[in-house]
Amino acid sequence: MPALRSGIQGREASSFESIRRGLTASSAALAGLDMAMLDLLGKFSKAPVYQVLGGPTRYQARALASIEGETDDAVIAAVVQARATGHRAFLIPVPASHSPNHGATLVNATRQRLDHVRSVAGADADLVLGAGGKLTPGDASTLAAAFERLHLLWFDEPCQLSNLSAAYRISSESVTPVGFGRFAAEAGIFQEMLRSDAIDVVRPDLGLHGITLCRRIAAVAEPYYVAAAPFHDGGPIATAAALHVAASIPNFFIQQVPYPMAEEDRRMRARLTGESLEMVKDGYLQLPRGPGLGITVDEAAFSEYREREP
Amino acid sequence: MNRRRFLSSASGVLAADTLAAAPLRHPRSSFYDCALEPHAALPPGADALAAFGSKVRITNLKTFGVTIPGAPPDRPYVFVKLETNEGLVGWGEGTLEGKASAVLACINDFRDFLIGADPMPVEHHWQSMYVHSFYRGGPVIGSAISAIDQALWDLRGKILGVPVYKLLGGPNDPEGVRGYYIAKARTLDDLKRLRETASDKGITAFKGGLPNCYEWIETNQKITEAIRHVETLREGLGPEIDIAVDFHAKTSPTVASVIIKELEPLHLLWVEEPCPPENVWAMARIARRVNTPIATGERLVASYGVRELVEQGVVDIIQTDANHVGGITALWKVAALANVSAISMAPHACEGPIGMLASLHVDASIPNFLIQECCGQADPQVRDKVWEEWFGFPVMRMVNGKYPLPDKPGLGFDLNEDAFKKYPFAGSKPMSRVFHQDGSVAEW
Repeated sequence: MPALRSGIQGREASSFESIRRGLTASSAALAGLDMAMLDLLGKFSKAPVYQVLGGPTRYQARALASIEGETDDAVIAAVVQARATGHRAFLIPVPASHSPNHGATLVNATRQRLDHVRSVAGADADLVLGAGGKLTPGDASTLAAAFERLHLLWFDEPCQLSNLSAAYRISSESVTPVGFGRFAAEAGIFQEMLRSDAIDVVRPDLGLHGITLCRRIAAVAEPYYVAAAPFHDGGPIATAAALHVAASIPNFFIQQVPYPMAEEDRRMRARLTGESLEMVKDGYLQLPRGPGLGITVDEAAFSEYREREP
Repeated sequence: MNRRRFLSSASGVLAADTLAAAPLRHPRSSFYDCALEPHAALPPGADALAAFGSKVRITNLKTFGVTIPGAPPDRPYVFVKLETNEGLVGWGEGTLEGKASAVLACINDFRDFLIGADPMPVEHHWQSMYVHSFYRGGPVIGSAISAIDQALWDLRGKILGVPVYKLLGGPNDPEGVRGYYIAKARTLDDLKRLRETASDKGITAFKGGLPNCYEWIETNQKITEAIRHVETLREGLGPEIDIAVDFHAKTSPTVASVIIKELEPLHLLWVEEPCPPENVWAMARIARRVNTPIATGERLVASYGVRELVEQGVVDIIQTDANHVGGITALWKVAALANVSAISMAPHACEGPIGMLASLHVDASIPNFLIQECCGQADPQVRDKVWEEWFGFPVMRMVNGKYPLPDKPGLGFDLNEDAFKKYPFAGSKPMSRVFHQDGSVAEW
């Protein structure tokens, strides 16, 4: 942090690109700094960040609720609750698998979960199947092929990217769309996957890439006709940043929003940045209208929820 | 030249003594001679070339913007007429949807080049128009060259006294050129009636489309609707009729692959433009994952624009358009390039009558012709009546599933420019502007 401080003090917030390139810090710190500098630039210009960046390219942003849960029952309960609060698209985790290459067992368990989710989520609901990078490429490919006709929005992080050529096999063996990005630290990995036809939706992590690099990764995907759906498992300020990305790029498809099961957690998010930010209506998030990121952070609430040093 | 000097210059290296002995030559303009000082309009050799040509000279170029009320407003026709010292005239068309004024202006940019020129060496003129335009193709220049090229071929045929398809080695089939109409229907019953009409009139193929706009990832609902839509087309039209489905580049490779995979049991004639045209790799991705034939190419200019599609073995059918690709010359070359790789030709045509007639001449002569578009319907529309009024015969109306070939020289028609007076140019009109549910820009 001290290094970061000395690198930015006295600089113009509008040079967010050149400042970032001159800093050595963790990706997460740089991503946060990027959001803060664009917030400043927007406030100085009295315009929302999406206007500063050439938008709005849309007036609302489709939302994807991150569903958590170990068991089918927990997943179903979360989907029902998320549906009741306006969500129409759900990221459903693949059931835990305790050993690899048990194709039939895994296919059956996953199909059962997806069928169950569809039955409670409604006819207009859409599903992303998320493996969190935990499957082998072989198991991932088996699932992708088995679910071609389910019309999933996509199959998310089906396997690790440690062996790219194994990941390519998934998209060559079925038409189920695949999404990658959460574990890609460098924009170059996206380019490599795009030119190898291995990816259908780029999922840069907002918390690692910030607004600027997410926009750049989306720009790399655009000439391949590939959509962007930034990964997001952080706090509500990043949700605001995500909406400015969504409204400033042409190839946005959907924005993942953390959907904590605990009522207390959801209340905390609402208190930090205002209730309306993460509210979803008929499957869509609304764009902030104010200058900068368009949110007012309740710093008092901030200190209340700050994690204490042990 | 002595032997030693010949060898050294032939190898591209001047011996040091030769260099020293040569007088210092100043470059013609400067050391950066890069089109900053344009060269003479008639370069060395032009006079000598002219001596090998004909005596006919182009004396005038006229352009016409023509708007037919009740026809699609985004594509007023762009026609060109070349007049000659022999009294013969040549007609061509460069209608470009949404950009009529730009093509009219671009055709006029070629005026000085054409006035005084011999219309016979069409290949030479085509090269000059394309190469000397520096920025090469693109739809505006491509459409302007197309119009002029067709008019030159019309003149060539008239000068030589034969229809253009005979100059190209045709006809393959004296009855004409196989074609298809649009499947204009809203319900399954409409489609069933269309099937009966087709059976009565000998129509062998129709084209349908997809019911929505699509984002680059799509929802279950929209994908399912698209599949049901095409299944209904097959159900209504029956198993005997060939069905092409135009995706119109509304889908990404991702969404197209999901949809086409489920359409495979329908054995479609082709799916058309399953993704936008800029990225051949992306199109290849679809081709690798589905068996249904893929057609594309209506937005491409010149054989240069098609090369990568052919090389990568991405498509089964190429659809370049005589109004945009660079006229008869370029359409024929694209067909030649495609033929080497066993790719068929199904030229696109959704503009005016002259470009379509020009396309027929190529169709009638190439070995790899499949079928010709005309965006017509089984029942004649407003435009068909107007075309018949202009040309004196039913242009692009099929007889037994084929467009009859004209038998007059050139493109095969007489046309009086006064016919257009009733249809004054209403200016360029944009193509449809379509948006998604969230207000973002959609492919149409």
